[in-house]
Amino acid sequence: MDIIGQFPLFYFPDYGSAWMMGLTGTIHILFSHTSVGAAMLFAFLAHKAYKEDRSDYYPYMKKYGMFLLIFSYVLGSITGPGIWNTATAASPRGISALIHNFVWVWATEWVFFIYEVIGVFVLVYFIDKIDKKTHLRLTYTFALASVGTLALIIGIISFMMWPGTEAFYATGSASDAFFGVNTFPHMFLRIGFMIMMSGVIGLVISSSMRKGNAALSDELSRKMGYVSILGGFITLFFFIWYMGTLPDNAHAVFAFSKDAIIKNRIILTLVFVAYFAIAIIKPRLINPVIASAMIGVILISGLWSGEKLRESMRKPYVAGQYIYSNQIISRDVPGKHIKSELPIIAEKGLLQVNPFVPARLKVITDENKLETGELLAKMSCSNCHSLEKTGVYRPLKDRLVGMDKDGIKAILYAIGEGGMSYMPKLKLPETEYDAIAEYFVSLHY
Amino acid sequence: MDASVLLALRDPAGVPFYPIVFQVLYILTWALHAAFVLLSLGAMGLSLYGSAKGKTDKYWSILTPHLIQTGKISVSILIVLGVAPLLFTQVIYDPNWYVTNTLSGMWIFIFVYTMVVGYSMYYWYYYANRAQRTGSTLIGFVSFGILVFAGVLMHNFAVTSIMPQQWMSMYAPNGVVNTSGWTFNLDIIRLAFMVSLSIPVVGIFLQNYSRFLSTRKDFDASFISYSAKLGTNFAVIGLLISAVLFVLWMLQVKYLLHPVSLATIVGVLVLLVMAKINSNSYYTTLILVVVALLISTMRELIRFDIMSGLGYSIYDYPINLEIPSIVMFLSTFLIMGFVGVAFLLTMAWKVGKSEGVFDGSKDVMVNRLGQSTLYIMIAWMVIYFAWGIGILFNNIL
Repeated sequence: MDIIGQFPLFYFPDYGSAWMMGLTGTIHILFSHTSVGAAMLFAFLAHKAYKEDRSDYYPYMKKYGMFLLIFSYVLGSITGPGIWNTATAASPRGISALIHNFVWVWATEWVFFIYEVIGVFVLVYFIDKIDKKTHLRLTYTFALASVGTLALIIGIISFMMWPGTEAFYATGSASDAFFGVNTFPHMFLRIGFMIMMSGVIGLVISSSMRKGNAALSDELSRKMGYVSILGGFITLFFFIWYMGTLPDNAHAVFAFSKDAIIKNRIILTLVFVAYFAIAIIKPRLINPVIASAMIGVILISGLWSGEKLRESMRKPYVAGQYIYSNQIISRDVPGKHIKSELPIIAEKGLLQVNPFVPARLKVITDENKLETGELLAKMSCSNCHSLEKTGVYRPLKDRLVGMDKDGIKAILYAIGEGGMSYMPKLKLPETEYDAIAEYFVSLHY
Repeated sequence: MDASVLLALRDPAGVPFYPIVFQVLYILTWALHAAFVLLSLGAMGLSLYGSAKGKTDKYWSILTPHLIQTGKISVSILIVLGVAPLLFTQVIYDPNWYVTNTLSGMWIFIFVYTMVVGYSMYYWYYYANRAQRTGSTLIGFVSFGILVFAGVLMHNFAVTSIMPQQWMSMYAPNGVVNTSGWTFNLDIIRLAFMVSLSIPVVGIFLQNYSRFLSTRKDFDASFISYSAKLGTNFAVIGLLISAVLFVLWMLQVKYLLHPVSLATIVGVLVLLVMAKINSNSYYTTLILVVVALLISTMRELIRFDIMSGLGYSIYDYPINLEIPSIVMFLSTFLIMGFVGVAFLLTMAWKVGKSEGVFDGSKDVMVNRLGQSTLYIMIAWMVIYFAWGIGILFNNIL
């Protein structure tokens, strides 16, 4: 039987299912990056407190830690597996590819997570119950464990963009997949952002301590300003390096909105440089409300748009440049004995090879043409585009507006021939092209 | 769902190591995860009773905040421990997990945010109880309800994943495709059994709690004895309820006379006697761990048999051996994991036993474990970067 490993399709009307992962992922990045950044900041503060005998830093660390417990270890630790779950619902084969290549890397990360989660409770609740030397050592190991989690996940998310070299396809080795050309720039880009986030959150805590100890609040706010500027500079520096390590298809997508993105990044940089400069020069101008609002600005203007861009730049792939967003394996990976599924789809059609297509829809007839067209459109397009006339997420209504059946088919043919580098080179039998086009026409975009 | 489809749904990359290793790891880590699910459920549930009693009862005014704190930490730990079985199940039973996720896509999304809301509210409950604010019990109840609902959703995923013969009718009832992701299935007896285990687990926890605090002079002997007795009552009654439900579940799935099932029943009886006598609850906990492993094995056995019956054997999964990354995992797990966690737990134990500030720098064991953890982590980082740079140079130069 000629079937391929396609799973049932989950589709959220008007939006598609990928946005669920995007939403969860954006939230998670804020919390998880803060967590690693804060772990490094704790080590720095604990070091200073121990060496310079600054006992007044400990209440700040405790307050920061309590905030971190909720911010990162409630919201962050749930949204971590949450990304995994929602991504699985949206892109099961993409996640499967990552799992089957990197299961031991993830399992190693899990060991660090366990140390981190037990460690954070010990660190926060025992801060005034253990001696300072042991506490200092604990903060060092906590920081290393946190950076360890980044060191392990970074190769996996870098592989999602691309393996970086051709070696992985030949060897199938997780090491070749993990350490691509963009792994280290990506890692330090995120470390910079983590340091910056630790300062941004630190400003919320330090500004909220003004009533109790104004001088300490000012001193810590200034420190957080310097920490954030340092983090921001590292982020920018490695962002430029990172961009230079991306594949051509990523740059093709980037080119679409390059000007707007650069403008957005320049504005954000200016706003945050000003904010951090105020923290250093006039710390009393910053209060918890402003400091919290700045987290919101980062979340919406920086992270959400950044993650959307990163996801777009992967197109048409979802993992390793061998699995398309629509869950089809697009190339051979001899090192893993993986075969491209494109030839069999071109020959038999998606309806025949997908095991979850019901028997009555396997063959296109006049009676079921619209129904099969809709199913085929969902299977082929809905991971990236919402289909309805009321669609919101990269909607096809904007791309196919006013087009007739022949016009739509011409686009489908061009995609099938590989005419658009950011679209899956999915060639289908003529009957399936026809059914998809007829379905789109019936929507009267 | 015939074998050819199930086999086609396996990842074409194959598995990176022998499937039985993933199966064993799954059983082990699920038992660990479940232990903290049950502890959090039991501790949270019991804290609500204590919270409702207020500050008037001298025993519950001590016990309630401790139960809330136990529940709070347990939820964090159950989340992190839950990652491992989730990982290992996807390696060998990927058809089951991915079909379930897509069929129940909406519930998956709801599950994530149910946990976020429920656990955030639990912190609210913790702070409200600490400040003795009115309404703290209500907040606790709402939080508890939301977290239990999250547990029910996870149960739905587990049950749906072992119903491969019905997947097609769930996805396309009467041949009409439904992509909404609202598939929901319950197995009431199995769920009731799993939930019931939280009663004996919190009972044995209370026995341990009482035993641990018995060396502290700042805790009254009558409180120690009260919490021990309370623990014994919960353990005994809970074990009886769980035993009945386990038998019902085994009758339902027709595994009552299977050796694993019989061993579980024997384990529960031994636990019952040990919990009743309560001569040393730490030994009772060891038996509880064995019973948890047996229950985890039973779950896996049911799934394994269902899938084997359809022609899908995990042992036939094609293998593409991946040596460097398993060496990394094993060495990290066995060296850094054990030494690091031993450092944290030893310190926690000694802090718990101390009445003032614990000086870890003067404690030989804590000092040595702390230093070793630090050196191991530094060595780990050095190896990581050396490995990465080596691979990269090899591939690009």
